[in-house]
Amino acid sequence: MRFTICAAKPEDCKDIARMIMELAVYEKMPDQVKISHKELERDGFGPNPFYQCLVAEVPEEHKSKDGHTKVGYALFFYTYSTWKGRTVYMEDLYVMPEYRGKGMGKALIATVAKVAKEQHCVRLQFSVLDWNKPSLDFYLSKGAEDLTAKEGWHFLRFHGIALDNLAQEAP
Amino acid sequence: MDIITKTLFVMELAEYEKVSDQVKIAQRDLEQDGFSKNPFFHGIIAEVPEHLKSKEDSCMYFFTGHTKVGYSLYFYTYSSWKGRAVYMEDLYVMPEFRGKGIGKALMSKVSQLGLAAGCTQLNFTVLDWNKSSLDFYLKQGCWDVTSDLGYHCMRCEGDALEHLAQGGL
Repeated sequence: MRFTICAAKPEDCKDIARMIMELAVYEKMPDQVKISHKELERDGFGPNPFYQCLVAEVPEEHKSKDGHTKVGYALFFYTYSTWKGRTVYMEDLYVMPEYRGKGMGKALIATVAKVAKEQHCVRLQFSVLDWNKPSLDFYLSKGAEDLTAKEGWHFLRFHGIALDNLAQEAP
Repeated sequence: MDIITKTLFVMELAEYEKVSDQVKIAQRDLEQDGFSKNPFFHGIIAEVPEHLKSKEDSCMYFFTGHTKVGYSLYFYTYSSWKGRAVYMEDLYVMPEFRGKGIGKALMSKVSQLGLAAGCTQLNFTVLDWNKSSLDFYLKQGCWDVTSDLGYHCMRCEGDALEHLAQGGL
């Protein structure tokens, strides 16, 4: 099946928001999605965007049963390692179930890696849920390392009231 | 920010995390990447008055006479579920200045700056054997996303990143 991978435009945000929710359903946490296409438009397309996004699109004749031609996306942003320098973090990689197995996921992550190399980034980082075996297998087959398993790194987070309380103590 | 001090802090933190051979960037990289028009990171420094400057030598590096005694390096990220977020890459206080609230003050300042920028999360990572840091953070009210939800940190670099990029459209 032919498909294209292009940088997202502001008008893609409704499709991206739709697919973000589909991915959250797959990760069993749909109630955690709190932003809409409006925040995506505001935060992704100003002079200092918070993220970059690629969209996978199929021709009209291959549109989904609900009529969508934008069928996958990868959302990423630039980060920094004080040991190695510029890095990229891939926040989301998603292809609609009926379009899997056609190389779109691989093309999306490969394009993120290509953009990362062009920007002189030395690492591509992301996270995967430990029960998500198909995704883990896919990434490990591409040469990714599981740093939690290998080195013991854990993600920690402050949010909500704990974040407010912490900020109030700033000098 | 004092880049020479910052570079030496990065080395001290790497020593603590037992991975100093992994540090590959230099002072010039920090200058270029932190102080251009679209910086890759932001930093804050903790400084003490002259009469409290450092006295102890630190393993391979001689750190007497310093007033800049801690730092935090952070950058803005994005959650596709919650929007703007801030990631704290490093938090470090020289050993002789610990236990005085400096680490907490640095982290609080990053939170304050993050909230002011419209962020709803402060994220970072900790090594699972680093019990003193884990206890410090959990006591401040954060939660362990890896333990609670099962998220694993993944990375592609070197040859794996090259091969991956060659498949890009």
